[in-house]
Amino acid sequence: MIRDHSGRLPLAPALLLLGALLAVAALASIGSGAYDLALMDILKVVAGREASDPVAAMVVLEVRLPRFLLGFLVGAVLGVSGAILQGLFRNPLADPGLIGVSAGASLAAIAVIVLGGTALGGWVTLAGQWALPLAAFAGGSGTVILAWRIASRAGQTAVATLLLAGIAINAVAGAATGLLTFYASDEELRSLTFWTMGSLGHAAWDDLVLGAPFMILALMAAPWLARPLDAFLLGESVVGHLGYRTATVKKVAILVVGLGVGAAVAVSGLIGFVGLVVPHLVRQLLGASHRVVLPVSALMGGTLLVAADAIARVVVAPAELPIGLMMSLIGGPFFLGLLMRRKVM
Amino acid sequence: MVLEIQNLSVSLAGTEIVSEINLTVSAGEVLMLLGPNGAGKSTLMKALAGELPYRGRIRLAGRELGGWCPGELARHRAIMPQSVEVNFPLTVEEVVALGRPAATRRCADSVAEILMEALEIKHLRHRLVPGLSGGEQQRLQLARVLGQIWDTRQDRLLLLDECTSALDPAHQQMVLELVGAMAREHGVAVLAIVHDLNLAAQFADRMVVMKSGRCFHEGGSSEVLTPSLLKAVYGYRTRVIQLPEGYPLVIPLASGSAQTAPLNPVCRQAS
Amino acid sequence: MRLRWLLFILIGLSLASGSVFAEPSRLVTADGAITEIVYRLGQESRLVGVDTTSGYPEQTAELPKVGYLRALPFEGVLALKPDMLITSEQAAPARNLERLARAGVRVAQLSSRWTAEAALERILSVGELLGATEEARALVAGVEADIRRILQNTGNRDYQPRILFILAAGNHSVMLAGSDTAANALVELIGAENAAQGIKGYKPANREAILASRPDAVVIAESTPGQFDIAGWPEVERLEAWQSGHRLVADSMFLLGFGPRLPEAMAALNDALPGQREIAANDP
Repeated sequence: MIRDHSGRLPLAPALLLLGALLAVAALASIGSGAYDLALMDILKVVAGREASDPVAAMVVLEVRLPRFLLGFLVGAVLGVSGAILQGLFRNPLADPGLIGVSAGASLAAIAVIVLGGTALGGWVTLAGQWALPLAAFAGGSGTVILAWRIASRAGQTAVATLLLAGIAINAVAGAATGLLTFYASDEELRSLTFWTMGSLGHAAWDDLVLGAPFMILALMAAPWLARPLDAFLLGESVVGHLGYRTATVKKVAILVVGLGVGAAVAVSGLIGFVGLVVPHLVRQLLGASHRVVLPVSALMGGTLLVAADAIARVVVAPAELPIGLMMSLIGGPFFLGLLMRRKVM
Repeated sequence: MVLEIQNLSVSLAGTEIVSEINLTVSAGEVLMLLGPNGAGKSTLMKALAGELPYRGRIRLAGRELGGWCPGELARHRAIMPQSVEVNFPLTVEEVVALGRPAATRRCADSVAEILMEALEIKHLRHRLVPGLSGGEQQRLQLARVLGQIWDTRQDRLLLLDECTSALDPAHQQMVLELVGAMAREHGVAVLAIVHDLNLAAQFADRMVVMKSGRCFHEGGSSEVLTPSLLKAVYGYRTRVIQLPEGYPLVIPLASGSAQTAPLNPVCRQAS
Repeated sequence: MRLRWLLFILIGLSLASGSVFAEPSRLVTADGAITEIVYRLGQESRLVGVDTTSGYPEQTAELPKVGYLRALPFEGVLALKPDMLITSEQAAPARNLERLARAGVRVAQLSSRWTAEAALERILSVGELLGATEEARALVAGVEADIRRILQNTGNRDYQPRILFILAAGNHSVMLAGSDTAANALVELIGAENAAQGIKGYKPANREAILASRPDAVVIAESTPGQFDIAGWPEVERLEAWQSGHRLVADSMFLLGFGPRLPEAMAALNDALPGQREIAANDP
């Protein structure tokens, strides 16, 4: 491919290519599954007409379509959150999983499941069907703030401390999750596995209604961070020099990540690697400017998750692989390959 | 008066690093800040940059620093830190654009072109910053910083913390000439920390020497750069020659210079 | 959520009671015990798919597996084009069951209570769903008679035996069965007492608790044959019950399924217990 002096791909063709990939992933996601549907039937359903297979409308509209939309949103949010955290920490290794955001969000969700009948009963009564996503959101933002606080001294954020704090937070959240699992009943355990494995398996419009507003809000707020985040790449003090309110920018960034990842975990459980791999890849191909990195990470994250999910549900059909497992299977080797190629260059 | 500092003290972790500094810089003036390591120059600079809490007053164009809104302040005060480390693959062009006001970033920006041209980094515009040499990066940062206040009409303050440390001699001259021109021709007030005494002598309108957090001496270059003052501040021996160009030249002497410079005992005793 | 569950049990029961629908020709079962019943009723030719808990009889290996009954995939089940899915209360997620019902699959969710009566009812329900009522009645009569005979035996005991029930499932996971488990129900069904006191559900085995439990018999339920390695559990080996041969190692679906093999499971458990004279001799 043609690259300019910076070794980057030109933006417009790259966007076109990504758009095409998304279209392919969308087709695969809506067009394939364990249940065999004729292409004509799918097209008829999408066009709003009667299909020859009476089940077609239900499979496409109630199962595959919300699953595609949810997969795309979750992937987009994870991609953008990874990009924001990496920019904020000036560290390409930061990702929602590594600094404990996901673990915090899922711990809170699990606490609501297990203790919802007892210790957290009041909260569940108060928040109703929002109890779970709101708790996941609070858990997610709480851990970002904690990691940030531990790692920040005198206006500077120590990266090594941050990663260590993340490891510790992950360990504590993991232990707390284990403890809750120990006290969980058989039925509660069933819901827990969903959180720890990550799944889009029973995505429905309900989930979209619940999670989409938070995730869309996070995605819409993200562009506001693009220019301050570029300034962050020159160092935290430079952000202030350039006239941005550093503390406000940090707070908004944390809010966006906590909100987005919290909601994503609330509807799909723990899905790793998107937040780490996607922004990294975007920067390698298109440069580090956040006006490009943020939207393209959203697009690529969404596409990647939709594609991985499409594979996950046909590869062992009629059963399904957990999407979290699938992501790590694709993302891990891919990331290693990227690192090795970079060393040679 | 663009910058007025009154009774400025800065403490870090309970220790007072800068004590009761009084300073002014007027429009078009280049004030150079000298002093040994640990004298408090960079801490003073950080207080002026708004990075550290302080006691006393710092006024920019007559207004207290805290009274400015951050966006407006950035158009009047630009800061070049000692070092800016860029790990992410940003291009030269993108970093210069970061300093420019939001409105100019959408279309081709003639100011950015002028600055990249003037600092000889135009040919690097598409290169990634992490791959540049130290000197190229320093010129790039200066371009970004100058672009930040370029469009402002008056009351502009430029704070430079060792902006020539990574440059070769030719580029040191080029950069400081550009800074001088910004002051003389465009009325920018410049406060710069410089370690190279001869560069300071050549380009300063006025000098302030700091020692142990305090202002030790203030004056013109011939007044400040004397062997006795340098001995007292830095604790090293020098010979100072007045050049016909109108500024002094400082020549360091080895500490055991009794043997190496026997021909000038008077000068040595005087110092 | 709970309401939905209830709804499905109700649908299941209503389906079970009245044969308003035609008998299914393409059947998917998701519960090992229910699959067993289908085979015992001679209705296996209708099966087009089973879940991963259905490993008995061996012929089930040839059928497509739709995954774990607690994570049933909607499209995966639908892809087999079944006209009926028979499963238990344990099936999840509820949303996918509801979707299957709306896609035209008759979804029957049978109670999975751990009692002899429930086991018999399940056989009758499956029989009615499949239009094999006669076969079901015959099977129930046989199973019921077997159970009654075993209960007669256990009723003659003059001591309260204590059984330590260990579940070996998954990698390295060895758990003690406490109250509120199928294991506990089986132990109590034969008039014995659970030796693991103060535990609720299946909990990781505490080695000291094993020694302290002093059971009359040790029962080990394996999810795959040979899963429990006694060499790794010297505490179990040290138990007097183990030493004296009062032990049973068997398949977990066989022991805990509460299906048509319930009498065999009860008998196996009962046989592992020491006779009365032995106990009397050991008594100080």
